[in-house]
Amino acid sequence: MSEDKDKTVSEAVEKALQGDMDAINNIEDRITRSKAKAALVRAKRKQSASVDSNSSEKTESSDSSVEEKLNFSQTVFQRIIEKFPESAENDQNKDWIQLKPENWLDIANWLKSEETLYFDSLQCNTGVDLGDGILESRYNLHSMKHFHNIEIRIKVPVNKPDIPSVEQVWRIADWFERETYDMFGINFIGHRDLRRILLPEDWEGWPLRKDYEEQETYHGIVVPKVKEGWE
Amino acid sequence: MGVVHGQEMVLNIGPQHPATHGVLRLQVKTDGEIISEITPYLGYLHRCFEKHCENVSYEQVIPFTDRCDYLASMSMNFGYVVAMEELMDIKVNDRVQHIRVIMAELQRIASHLLGLGAFGLDVGAFTPFLHMLRDRERILDIFEMTCGARLLYNYMWVGGLSHDLPTGFVEATFNFLDYFEPKVDEFVNLLVHNKIFVERTADIGIMPSDVAINYGVTGPNLRASGVKWDIRKDNTYSIYNRFDFNVPVGEGGKGTVGDCWDRFYVRVCEIRESIKIVRQALDQLPKTGDVHQSMPKKIRPPKGSIYRRTESPRGDLGYYIESDGTDTPYRLKMRSPAFTALSVIDEIGAGWLMSDVLVILGSLDIVLGEIDR
Repeated sequence: MSEDKDKTVSEAVEKALQGDMDAINNIEDRITRSKAKAALVRAKRKQSASVDSNSSEKTESSDSSVEEKLNFSQTVFQRIIEKFPESAENDQNKDWIQLKPENWLDIANWLKSEETLYFDSLQCNTGVDLGDGILESRYNLHSMKHFHNIEIRIKVPVNKPDIPSVEQVWRIADWFERETYDMFGINFIGHRDLRRILLPEDWEGWPLRKDYEEQETYHGIVVPKVKEGWE
Repeated sequence: MGVVHGQEMVLNIGPQHPATHGVLRLQVKTDGEIISEITPYLGYLHRCFEKHCENVSYEQVIPFTDRCDYLASMSMNFGYVVAMEELMDIKVNDRVQHIRVIMAELQRIASHLLGLGAFGLDVGAFTPFLHMLRDRERILDIFEMTCGARLLYNYMWVGGLSHDLPTGFVEATFNFLDYFEPKVDEFVNLLVHNKIFVERTADIGIMPSDVAINYGVTGPNLRASGVKWDIRKDNTYSIYNRFDFNVPVGEGGKGTVGDCWDRFYVRVCEIRESIKIVRQALDQLPKTGDVHQSMPKKIRPPKGSIYRRTESPRGDLGYYIESDGTDTPYRLKMRSPAFTALSVIDEIGAGWLMSDVLVILGSLDIVLGEIDR
């Protein structure tokens, strides 16, 4: 009996794979029908896996681009070390560049003016709260001339979050740094107009830090702690 | 003739003002009719997008991206899923890629239509706005047919799409394109060569290319300044390298390169290019392919971070995603193109007349939902 069922299942799956779903839908026994459907899903997954292995060529090319990025970032790092020794953190060999905050303004100026690098565009600046009392500011630089990009990361302790501002190097850093200051409280030294940008000026605390607690009251209104109707 | 300096006056434009395209306050210092300084105040529409993302799972982020740029939700979805798929190393099949490109380009047309119409409105031309809204409505009908929503789609998912295309989609889209293509020329006649429009926009608010790059301005605004930079070509994603299209740049057709008229005209040309892309994608659309094929059961990217840019109608839309190997993002930052475009307003807007500043603001085509996030 069970052998019979297996046979119907395998036949129906074969038909369904060729596009005839009715073969499965017409099975009368409910359990057999669901078994057939499960078998169909398995068979389809196998097919798609074989499709994926066919496109392995694509994967290789993306691997090489990752490697290229790593190499380029290493080259830039070596050049920074030559120019500004003692400015880089120890553990390297990543696809980003870890710097110490002290020389950041000089390095930024150099990265922008150096002819072969020419990072004239600051794409993105974001803060990250790494936990353990460490904040990080990350800069994604891009060159409109050479079409290459790097990522720079600068760690600061949460009790003294001071990073030199690069607002006068890339003008867009003005607003980016204001946003990072707004959300993380990273203090950008030398910024000419360091105010909150998205939140109201009298907001307390730095919302995107992991240990952020909501205020008790805001303008005399009690902030509800229990969110009724949520979830 | 000497210049008479009157008393300086501080004036607030907004937050509730139709010319600011949303809730934005511009504090301007004026000397008579001449603006000497513009200080934008943002955040009226801040909805804590990035904080929310840290508390929801990766798939739940997608509806939030919809609500950031509510005029180009498809492109917002697209940027996010491209970043996530690169982070998780997912390959999606050709049918999904084609559908995504079709949606993103239709969205670009819809978004540009509204942007251009509202720009015309800022200058005082009411009729083109209605014409453009009428045609945008047809694109929204196509979207509604596809996923049931007209504005906030939640259509592109990580590894696939929420639905496959409905029957009759290809014909409906071809019909729309056939109807719409001659209409573009109608806009050109209504606005582009209109004497009053040209007088109001040509040689106004000139943005040189180095200023644009320094301020991180991207997209049509940057291309209007003569810089040929388009993520779809230069840092290609999805399957844009398979299509044949041009990247229009500003040439100063009625005045100087990088003026308001150029920014307008580049968008008109982009609509034409988008039509070309949609036609090619519809022609090549594979008949088979499961749109759920490569969707992971559980979205749990490996530890690491990624910064991926895509070309939204407003420029480089970047997602910075930091993953700690759990189900929720550790940090997710959206680099919004309208945010950087607005930051340049003081640089290019100061020194112009009051009425010109509103034109300059309109020409940047900002969306406040995306600026404030």
